[in-house]
Amino acid sequence: MLYIILPVIPFIGALFLFIKKDRPKNVSLIVSALILILSGIGLKNIFEGNPFPLKIPLAGPFSPAFQIDHLSAVFIVLAGLLWLVVSLYAPEYMKKEGGIWDFQLPALLTLSAVLGVFAAGSLFTMLLFFELMTVTSYFWVVHRWDKEAIKAGYFYLFFSIIGGLLIALGIMLMSASVDVLPAIGSGRVIPNDPHKFALSILLLVAGFGIKAGMVPLHIWLPHAHSAAPTPGSALLSGLLIKVGAYGLIRTGEFAGWGIKAVSETSWLGPVLAVLGTLTMLAGVTAALLQSNGKRLLAYHSVSQMGYIILGLGIGLYLGPEGGLGLLGAIYHIVNHALFKTVLFLGVGVIYLHTKETDLYRLGGLLRHFPVTALLMFIAVLGITGAPGLNGYASKTMLHHAVSQAAETGASWAVWLERLFVLVGVGTAASFSKLYYLIFLSKPLKKEVTGKESFRQKLSLGILAVIMVVIGLQPGLLPNTALIPAAEELGMKSSAATFAHFSFWNPGDVISMFITLALGILVCWAGLKSGAFHWQPYSWLTLEGLAKAFGRLIYAVVRKTARICRSIFSAAGNAGNAAGSRLFGIISRFDRSRSGKFGGIILSGISADAALLIIVLIALIIWYTLINPDFPGIKLSSFLSIWIKK
Amino acid sequence: MIYLISALSAGLAGGLVVAVIPENRARLRNFCVLFFSVSAMILSWKVASLVFAGIKIHAAGKIGDISWSLAPDPLGAVFGLIASTLWLFAAVYSIGYMSGKKKQRTYFSFFLISLSITLGVAFSGNMVALYLFYELLTFVTYPLVIHERSPEAVKAGSKYIIYNLSGAGAILIAIIITYSLSGNLDFSGVGTPPILAGCMGSGLNWLLLLYVAGFGVKAAIMPLHRWLPEAMVAPTPVSALLHAVAVVYSGVYGVIRVIYSIFGHDLVKQLQLGSILPWVAAFTILTGVIIATRQDVLKRRLAYHTISQLSYILLGAFTLQPWGLTGAVLHMISYSMLKVILFFCAGIISEQTGETRVSNMGGVGWSLPKTLTAFAIASMGMIGMLPLSTFWSKYYLMRGSADGGIWPLALVFVISGIINALCFIPTVVTAFKERKTAPSRETGSKSAFMLVPTLILAFIAVFIGLWPGSVWPGIQAVINRFF
Repeated sequence: MLYIILPVIPFIGALFLFIKKDRPKNVSLIVSALILILSGIGLKNIFEGNPFPLKIPLAGPFSPAFQIDHLSAVFIVLAGLLWLVVSLYAPEYMKKEGGIWDFQLPALLTLSAVLGVFAAGSLFTMLLFFELMTVTSYFWVVHRWDKEAIKAGYFYLFFSIIGGLLIALGIMLMSASVDVLPAIGSGRVIPNDPHKFALSILLLVAGFGIKAGMVPLHIWLPHAHSAAPTPGSALLSGLLIKVGAYGLIRTGEFAGWGIKAVSETSWLGPVLAVLGTLTMLAGVTAALLQSNGKRLLAYHSVSQMGYIILGLGIGLYLGPEGGLGLLGAIYHIVNHALFKTVLFLGVGVIYLHTKETDLYRLGGLLRHFPVTALLMFIAVLGITGAPGLNGYASKTMLHHAVSQAAETGASWAVWLERLFVLVGVGTAASFSKLYYLIFLSKPLKKEVTGKESFRQKLSLGILAVIMVVIGLQPGLLPNTALIPAAEELGMKSSAATFAHFSFWNPGDVISMFITLALGILVCWAGLKSGAFHWQPYSWLTLEGLAKAFGRLIYAVVRKTARICRSIFSAAGNAGNAAGSRLFGIISRFDRSRSGKFGGIILSGISADAALLIIVLIALIIWYTLINPDFPGIKLSSFLSIWIKK
Repeated sequence: MIYLISALSAGLAGGLVVAVIPENRARLRNFCVLFFSVSAMILSWKVASLVFAGIKIHAAGKIGDISWSLAPDPLGAVFGLIASTLWLFAAVYSIGYMSGKKKQRTYFSFFLISLSITLGVAFSGNMVALYLFYELLTFVTYPLVIHERSPEAVKAGSKYIIYNLSGAGAILIAIIITYSLSGNLDFSGVGTPPILAGCMGSGLNWLLLLYVAGFGVKAAIMPLHRWLPEAMVAPTPVSALLHAVAVVYSGVYGVIRVIYSIFGHDLVKQLQLGSILPWVAAFTILTGVIIATRQDVLKRRLAYHTISQLSYILLGAFTLQPWGLTGAVLHMISYSMLKVILFFCAGIISEQTGETRVSNMGGVGWSLPKTLTAFAIASMGMIGMLPLSTFWSKYYLMRGSADGGIWPLALVFVISGIINALCFIPTVVTAFKERKTAPSRETGSKSAFMLVPTLILAFIAVFIGLWPGSVWPGIQAVINRFF
């Protein structure tokens, strides 16, 4: 029961903040600490095997339902942790940026919505909180309310709205294909109508995929994540896109984890895997070419979400043997949340003291921000997958899963493995670039105001410590939390698979080092040759293509509208002409009256003329009907040729 | 029966009373307006609760050889509830909106009389009564349309009359044909077949077309919609209530009646026209909202949007499925509230800042924050986002289309949702562009009269969205009545 009130706590905090506008600092800190403690207590219960299903008994089609299983618990704890760190960090940052209240209120509401999504027990409840999350987090994106922020906000809002509508359509088709709409956490669905069911899975994947930044639905993400103030970006990248991944895991649950794929959803695994890889590639390529630090990180969120989607796809494809894919994906969700938050907050520290996010105008900041530099170094090592840190653990698992898929002989899976390595090199290259340009290169920016504060160091430090612990003990988290979660999802064999898996294969370690070395080499070559400054032609980018496509549609619509309008106006003119001709004929019968009636000039007497004619016709017809003796045509017998009783 | 008659006559009596109160006795008039609106609302709630409880209420008589009857059934009761409840909100809003304006006496007396007529449409028990009230509605709302008496308003009024009377003419012919076929115009009760059950032949297509074209004028099906945007010259509460809810709903109500009470869904399923009509509605949905995005005057934008949303209801009825009709009735309830909110907000913006064009509304949000919040909530509902009640209607409309075997129609709702977002989200966002602190213009009694009903309606819309079960019994009654 304890867990169910979690979404309510931030909401109460938000109400308090709404009433007392002048003390925004501590409310969110207290709330998120409370959430973390409560979820810690609740976690114990859940892992002892007591999930909390709760259904609020409302009559009618919608009764909010909640349930928390292992997977939800992992996500809830993650959310609590990230919010705690960010609320430690945010007050100082937002004081300088301006509008601390405008940041904290959406932050609390978003926390409430996010917890609601994770605790939801039915698809409708999930969608409810999902939509709320869209609306509340929108206020982060448009925080500055300038032109750029508003544009980014449109991107964010429209894509999220489309996602919500697709999910609604998906839910509808699912409920049409089964007898009872399946609850979340109820496992595999056996549909009456496989065709509609497959379609609904596709729509749910598309809907959640938008939130998760899946290619080709990712183009909103870099705009939104770089426009928000840094604490907002950290939460957007750290947690909010994971909500999309959570949705994908739940969608996978309906199709069935850990079973040999059945025909109607057998496409799901390969499609997710291929889309995931494309997402990785697109994200990392775009990230290499960015000069803005926040944008680079945002594109990397796309890329890292690709790893997660790939893992999910492989897990579904391999069926009973896909334990590593699913485990790796969930593991990578946790890890990415940790290091991406550190990176964003770190860039935020730099921005706060230099007012600069353009990497090429920064440099040599190591001596100004030694602690931040150290903590960001840990995060960079984490995201590039250096052995001994958390990124290595999940990436190795995912790599093994991909190799396992490649061993089945499917040609696409073989290609995925090659691309996987390539993306690793790209990640290493782009983060060497980021780190080199900020901390190591020649100092360019002169004035640096202030120093990194205790709160900043603390908030980054908490996460960095967790990262190092996970990195040194990679088996800890899977054994305690992730394997129970995967088994509950239906992947029964995941414990056995994991037992055969070793993190410290010499081959893996060496290949990771080679990847890192190659990445640094690429970075050096790119910086020397200036290749990182190359901007792709607009038709090469997805965004440019989308823009061109949008223009095309707009042009077609306008052309069609113009043609329609000319047709209608021609018809209208003809009608007008006929009407005025008719009016001329009629008015000849009544020369004495002009068009004036009670001081009001009717535009012609057409109104009463029309009325008169209609009433006359009606009366004539009426008479023919009710007076059978009336000399003339009998309508009823005339009609009987046409309509039979 | 006493409730029925008094519910019907409350508005008429109020209108007559207001008509004799001198122009300068504003306070007394406002009291009368509120008194009669509240009593009409309470009485129609009473009637509706009796109807939902299954008690038969009946009043009938004869004019010459023609018999009329008043016998509300669940569908009519739902319509009557929507109309009378929203009438009260609009009455409160009108008091704020009209304060300080001229010719309040005319305005309020016709405003109240229209309530009676609308309830008459809702509670009518046969085609004769429906037709009479339907015609009367055109006439009693005409003075409201031409309220400004400007040349523009008079022109719009003429258009209003011509379109609606032509439609009524078509209906009259169709009624005569129906009578000649069946000799009966009473809407069937529970268990009795629809009026035309058992007929066959291709002529039925044409008969249905006559009906749909006739009622379609008020329901603003696409080629017959031209009067609606013009009628926006009326004062905003009239646009809100009559041209987004009462008048247009009487057309929609007529179409639903024709399909389910006169033809019956089994018969319409066999007609060729029955499979064409959903596509006509789909066309109207998309075209209406696309045109709406191109309108700069906010009220005109809302008018085209009304055209689009009315076809949601029609499309739900045309699917001929229980879920589709569920969606249609639910959409009648939820859409009407949200649209009234949108119009109310447009009225507040134009009254308090003088802006009627969207392109000039940059930054008004900072001085009218509550208004724009209500506007944003309502536009979220129009998109079909969840905490709002329209999500549920949209969901069941999609479900009905999928059940009817034409699931691509479900896609129409998604696409129109996206275009709705394009239509309204920029309006809200530009109202807040350029962060600045402006003095609030939401103070004073005039503003309070306009703002309070708007906010209460927004609250109700969210409430129904979170608990759609609260209106479920009424919808269930309608479905049980026809399926």
